[in-house]
Amino acid sequence: MGKSSILKSIKENKPTLISLPEIDVNSFEETINLVETFKKNVESVGGNIKELGQIQDLDLEIKNRYPNAKRIFSQISESVLGNVQISEQTKPKDLENLDLAILKGVFGVAENGAIWISDEQFSIRILPFITNDLVLILQKKDLCQHMHHAYKMIANRTRTFGLFISGPSKTADIEQCLVIGAQGAMSLTIFLI
Amino acid sequence: MMSHSKLAEIFNKDEAKVNWHDKALWYVREKRDTAAHHVKGWEYLRDLASGIKANVLSNLDNYLVEFEKNAQSNGIEVHWASNAEEHNKIVYKILTQNNATKVVKSKSMLTEECHLNPYLESKGIEVIDTDLGERIVQLAKEPPSHIVLPAIHKTKEEIDVLFQEHLGTKPSNGDPQYLTNEARKHLRDKFLNADVALTGVNFAIAETGGFVVCTNEGNADMGVHLSKVHIACMGIEKIIPREEHLGVFLRLLARSATGQPITTYSSHFNKPAPGNAIHIVIVDNGRTEQLSREDFRSSLSCIRCGACMNTCPIYRRSGGFSYNATIPGPIGSILSPGMDMKKHSSLPFASTLCGSCSNVCPVKINIHEQLYKWRQIITKEQKQPLIKKTILKITGMVLGRPKLYAVLGISVRWMLKYAPRFMVYSKLNAWGKSREFPKVENGNFDQWYKNRKNNG
Repeated sequence: MGKSSILKSIKENKPTLISLPEIDVNSFEETINLVETFKKNVESVGGNIKELGQIQDLDLEIKNRYPNAKRIFSQISESVLGNVQISEQTKPKDLENLDLAILKGVFGVAENGAIWISDEQFSIRILPFITNDLVLILQKKDLCQHMHHAYKMIANRTRTFGLFISGPSKTADIEQCLVIGAQGAMSLTIFLI
Repeated sequence: MMSHSKLAEIFNKDEAKVNWHDKALWYVREKRDTAAHHVKGWEYLRDLASGIKANVLSNLDNYLVEFEKNAQSNGIEVHWASNAEEHNKIVYKILTQNNATKVVKSKSMLTEECHLNPYLESKGIEVIDTDLGERIVQLAKEPPSHIVLPAIHKTKEEIDVLFQEHLGTKPSNGDPQYLTNEARKHLRDKFLNADVALTGVNFAIAETGGFVVCTNEGNADMGVHLSKVHIACMGIEKIIPREEHLGVFLRLLARSATGQPITTYSSHFNKPAPGNAIHIVIVDNGRTEQLSREDFRSSLSCIRCGACMNTCPIYRRSGGFSYNATIPGPIGSILSPGMDMKKHSSLPFASTLCGSCSNVCPVKINIHEQLYKWRQIITKEQKQPLIKKTILKITGMVLGRPKLYAVLGISVRWMLKYAPRFMVYSKLNAWGKSREFPKVENGNFDQWYKNRKNNG
């Protein structure tokens, strides 16, 4: 009932067809240093970012930054810190007390410090949200300038669930005071390789 | 039914709070400016967004059908609701089918519009708003006063007292860090025990059948991924044609809303997780009627960023509650009369028509022009107060007679200078209610201009 009456009403009330504009991406191109812009924007959204000379330094850096993390999930073969296993039997609630998740970022967006991740990398969708702290590893070569490029990069993905994540969870709902650590991860650290 | 100006008067009783409200929102507006100025091609981006939305409204039926087909092929169940009542019934039916009694909800202005919470609560369902600002106003038994900053009307001390009462927190003089952390613990428990998660939809993509939900707190995702069932409610106008258009809208949304370059989380839902279900409820509730109004249909392009509220000199000084509508502020004042003209007849007059709302709107809705057009309609169709009618009639007569205007100008200036205070600041003079008039100079603009010309 709802569907047919809604569609009928739209047909009767809509204006004559207005053509869809094409996006001229050239209007947005700038010569910028992708790495520097990305770093600046990650910091501006409350994230931590560090360039690593070599991936071998990763675990030491993580231990320094998160000395109290006990229950750790790692998706990165170069890190041996992971001690929580995730299988098809794992229930989302089992991750309630996860201290740290270490994931690969697929690519980063310089203009807003966002990183694309998807459930192709983590079979349990709650993982990057429920973990107390989140570490993302990103290759410097995997940076693009802005969101128009970003959507080209994920145009051919298998579409299940994915997200752009920009900084740690935050809120300013109490008198506009910024508080880092709302309902999702309390901190986000990005290691650029 | 109280008018906007009467309700604004109530808000203005606490002058310090009004000043704080005014400054806090202006600060957000300034952050928006800084963010916008950092984007090359910002104005072109707004043009694109406006053009895409215009195309959407002109082809909405086909996009909705395309969206439904693609969503269904990805295992998403799609429901259609003509009005609020149908919407609420559909949601309740899904809940009963899943034996659900506990619902966590992230921000959705549509469910506010449909009054879903009281409906579900009357059926014995627990509904917890999980956005911090929304949880605050829910505990205070109030509606949100702003669509992006729901508790902007509350001081931190008020929130402190509220949390002491409902969450058992310790007195903290309104320490935001402490209060947010306590809310996190409280909500964590709710997330872990919820049966169903409800969210809004920021954008639904016809081409893929997917949809995007944006939050800063991560509350939508915490709810959705811990529950077996996800219900996403959207107005018909949330459709965009292609996924690449998200590039345009996600660049505009958070910058316009809070001055952030993007929200913390922009989650793209295409398929339910194995063993889980996603339901989408597509709602009309007066939108197709607004689509029929040529002068007002572009109001349906709104992406709910709230920029028009933050910049509006009236909103900043009258507060969200003075609008007595689900969507307050300038955009609400052109949407609400379309839903119920009698109830909301004072809203299009709650504006100086300065045009700032239109200037900051990321999808370039001509908000102030539509406010003016609603005034024409409302004045014709609704009985206006006698004083207002008489004053406008006299004003029209005076403005149409230059000589009379000049004589009156001279006498008013004389009055303001020499008449006793009780006469000048009498009840008839609304302009003198809470402000002092500037010192009256000799002569008027006309004389000054002529003298200036004569003196070369």
